[in-house]
Amino acid sequence: MDWILLAVPALLPLIGGMTLLLVSQFDPFKKAEGEAGERSRGDRLLRIYVEGIALANSLVLLWLVFSAKGESVVLFRLYGELKVMFRLDGMGKVFAGLIGVLWPLAVLYAFEYMKEERRKAAFFSYYLMTYGVTAGIALAGNLMTLYLFYELLTLATFPLVLFPMTREATRASRKYLYYSIGGAAFAFLSLVFVLYFSSTGDTAFRAGGMLDLAAAVRHKDLLLFIYMLGFFGFGVKAVVFPCHRWLPPATVAPTPVTALLHAVAVVKSGAFAILRLTYFSFGVGFLRGTWVQWAVMAAAMVTIAYGSTMAVKEAHWKRRLAYSTVSNLSYILLGASMMSPLGLAAALSHMVFHAFMKICSFFCAGAVMHQTGKTHVYELDGLGRRMPVTFGCLTVASLSLTGIPLFAGFISKWNIARAAFACGMGSDGSLGGMAGSHGASGWRYLAFGAVAVLLYSALMTGIYMLTVVIRAYFPKVGAALAVAGIGPGLSQIDRRSGADAGRCDPNWMMLVPLLLFAAAIILMGIHSAPLMELFLQIGGEAG
Amino acid sequence: MEGNVILLLPVLFPIFMGIFVLAGKGFRTNRNALIVASLMGLAGGLILTILAVVGGGNGLKVWQLTEQVAVAFQVDRVGMLFALLTAAVWLLVGIYGFTYMTHEEDECRFFGYYLIVLGVLIGLDLSANLITFYVFYELMTLTSLPLVLHERTKEAVMAGLKYLFYSVAGAFMALFGIFFLTTVCRDLSFTPGGILSGEMVLGQERLLLAAVCCMLIGFGTKAGMFPLHGWLPTAHPVAPAPASAVLSGVITKSGVLALVRVVFYIVGPELIRGTWVQTLWMTLTLLTVFMGSMLAYKEPVMKKRLAYSTVSQVSYILFGLSLLDPTAFVGALSHVVFHSLVKNALFLSAGAVIFTTGWTRVRQMRGLGQVMPVLLGCYTVVSLSLVGIPPTSGFISKWYLAQGALSSGTGVFSWIGPAVLLISALLTAGYLLPLSIDGFLPGADFDDKEIRERGLKAKEPSLQMLGPVLILTAGALLFGCFPGPFLGFLREIAGTVF
Repeated sequence: MDWILLAVPALLPLIGGMTLLLVSQFDPFKKAEGEAGERSRGDRLLRIYVEGIALANSLVLLWLVFSAKGESVVLFRLYGELKVMFRLDGMGKVFAGLIGVLWPLAVLYAFEYMKEERRKAAFFSYYLMTYGVTAGIALAGNLMTLYLFYELLTLATFPLVLFPMTREATRASRKYLYYSIGGAAFAFLSLVFVLYFSSTGDTAFRAGGMLDLAAAVRHKDLLLFIYMLGFFGFGVKAVVFPCHRWLPPATVAPTPVTALLHAVAVVKSGAFAILRLTYFSFGVGFLRGTWVQWAVMAAAMVTIAYGSTMAVKEAHWKRRLAYSTVSNLSYILLGASMMSPLGLAAALSHMVFHAFMKICSFFCAGAVMHQTGKTHVYELDGLGRRMPVTFGCLTVASLSLTGIPLFAGFISKWNIARAAFACGMGSDGSLGGMAGSHGASGWRYLAFGAVAVLLYSALMTGIYMLTVVIRAYFPKVGAALAVAGIGPGLSQIDRRSGADAGRCDPNWMMLVPLLLFAAAIILMGIHSAPLMELFLQIGGEAG
Repeated sequence: MEGNVILLLPVLFPIFMGIFVLAGKGFRTNRNALIVASLMGLAGGLILTILAVVGGGNGLKVWQLTEQVAVAFQVDRVGMLFALLTAAVWLLVGIYGFTYMTHEEDECRFFGYYLIVLGVLIGLDLSANLITFYVFYELMTLTSLPLVLHERTKEAVMAGLKYLFYSVAGAFMALFGIFFLTTVCRDLSFTPGGILSGEMVLGQERLLLAAVCCMLIGFGTKAGMFPLHGWLPTAHPVAPAPASAVLSGVITKSGVLALVRVVFYIVGPELIRGTWVQTLWMTLTLLTVFMGSMLAYKEPVMKKRLAYSTVSQVSYILFGLSLLDPTAFVGALSHVVFHSLVKNALFLSAGAVIFTTGWTRVRQMRGLGQVMPVLLGCYTVVSLSLVGIPPTSGFISKWYLAQGALSSGTGVFSWIGPAVLLISALLTAGYLLPLSIDGFLPGADFDDKEIRERGLKAKEPSLQMLGPVLILTAGALLFGCFPGPFLGFLREIAGTVF
């Protein structure tokens, strides 16, 4: 039990969050909701507490990422071989590192964004708990643990969606709950079957799959069907068509929630679970070239096309970004459905890069909402001049999402397309040429269609992201400029500078995360070699 | 970073100056400072380009983007041709713009992006491999967008968006081809004659042709080739005249350069010759030549007419390339230079008329020769060049194109091609020369007083505007009279790629 440290990132925020929830019923946090004078003191305490826990947890998590070498720890046994076990392997490290970097920054942003809200303590306690649960998913050493935290994630994030307490929010959160729990039920089936057919008798992840192949081939079609159930079950969180409907309404939640949870933690947990199911449970050797591969590939393609088309149609900015998430998450699944080392590497790269791009876009949308109260795309005319830093970051994120070279998005799309071509040509994606041909069925030509869908979606992305940028920088002559605002931020600025509402970039707590994300996007776009090496290594082990 | 750093200078210096102009606060109030800075950027761009071309040597690798992909520059003959043309035209049009832009708003933004696009284009011309080329190709679209929607009217913004979406769609189509090419060969460095061989694509021939087809149509977008030509007649006329001039005269040529690079420096003409792709390509270009001329003939607004003319003329170049014949190749590349000179001169003339009188329609310009004889004279000379009357330069390129078509052995196309070129030349005369005729010879019923009243300010434009037009016209004439050395240079290029 030396490596009990592995359980810390999951448990620390969980306990910290619950404590906060309890304590907030008493002094001094209570005062954060009370009189103005007491409020600032309570506020500061809350901030120090929440940011402290988030930072400490990230430090532990990142330390683990750099030092863990495959050790494992069993926390307790539910029953028989149903162990709650933590283990950090390469893929877990990628996800853990990602959330470890993003969470403290998102918390920082959230302080500023939620400044004027009531019930802050409750909000931040659930926000912290979600951190723990997501870390648990990253650290899970077997499918059982993954499933446990996957369910917990639904429960921990449900109150966050509900937070505005409006009628709209109630409906959205209820929808979210039903979809997630329904999906988890399907995923549960796959858990049962994996346990039953497992060669080791438990569900610990193993690169290349844990199925007992001799027993599995006798029930091949059944198992493939079960895999598909699992794919769509976990796919609810990864917003695969037709299980995507909960996400766009859920943008009613405060922006820090939409940004971090609905662009990164929750949806990426779904994608991560699917990667675990595909590459570490069933194993690509078992799945490759079967009908189920083409089925999930087709599902991903449909989702990509659907999501990006709907995003163009949508005028509400955050919902537009949500549809963009729908489409981009399926990029990851598309990479995964190539069932090759290169495919997994491509999927992981898009998982990381998309997290930065999308959280950056959402934070820009949130900054605009917070400073000016504008929520729809057509209200943004001329804002680029007035919020130069925010829109500068948005431009970077938009270009990257579109897949313009020199930005991170290009690298991951490049890799997905390369994996798809390799799949279509029937090679395994290693750079050695056409050797190792498998999956000779004619269906493999579907992979070329996947590339076409990718490019179509890239065009749509260009349309739905760049129209926003162009509108902000080049307002049409005579268009009503977005000057008069109703948001709290702007009214302050108006007061300070009189009638001339000049620049209204948000303060440093919002700008620092934005600038860091934008810088990360450019850096990863220009110098992606070390990361890609890591991803290819993980892919090589599991593919 | 290994190799000759001098290659990076003509790319970075204009971009740096452009950002400086965009970001500097003083330029908004101090117009002289703006002009000095822009002029420095433009002249510096030209000088550094010449230096890079002379001393470029064995290329420069800047950095490794991914393990397969490097950003690298080199100087070869085609790149040299395009880079020098771009830098020179950019300087001339820039000088013209200093006067023209006085009647537009936001000069800083215009010249800032104008300089940035110059740097990006030089980078495009000097790229050493397809990936670097693609990077600059995308950057070119994004940085030239502010030039298109400069006036920010509803029409301009919509045109800008149309430009953006067509270009991005085209670029992504091309990217499909690039994806394919990276799977069959490791390194996409430009090599005369192509890097692919029959063995490398064994069993993938159908896929190769599909990929090449995607790249032809995708990169053809920028060159205004049917079926993705729709943006060009919308976007070019709404920009301010100097921007329309370089968009039509130079930026469309980057689409041409893309196809030259893909067909002759990556895939190799031999893998395409005689396939359905070549047939499709020839058909599309001839269709575009004819359609562009027809639409130009029917168009009453001067700048739009010129934009349709661009659609048609750039496809002359593409047709020359599609024949995969050395003579036609020489004709195509010479038309790149000649059309660039001519079309810039035409747009600048149209701009000068707008600047001094505000007339945009051809019908309004009756009797123009009585107020601006020099300008209309230049216009007439370059129009004759575009029609292809000897001894102007257009004749040379069309002669080579027709000769190449006849000797290319492409079956029915070897005589349909020249026929379409002739018909289109006739149409060109039909849409360009009426202005000259009406301008100089307005007819007996023309009331001379009327034009004096309507265009009270109308007189010959200032030397700053007239000078560039004169130089471009002289260039179009001189190349026609003494084409020898230039054609020899082009024949050398053709010799390496075939």
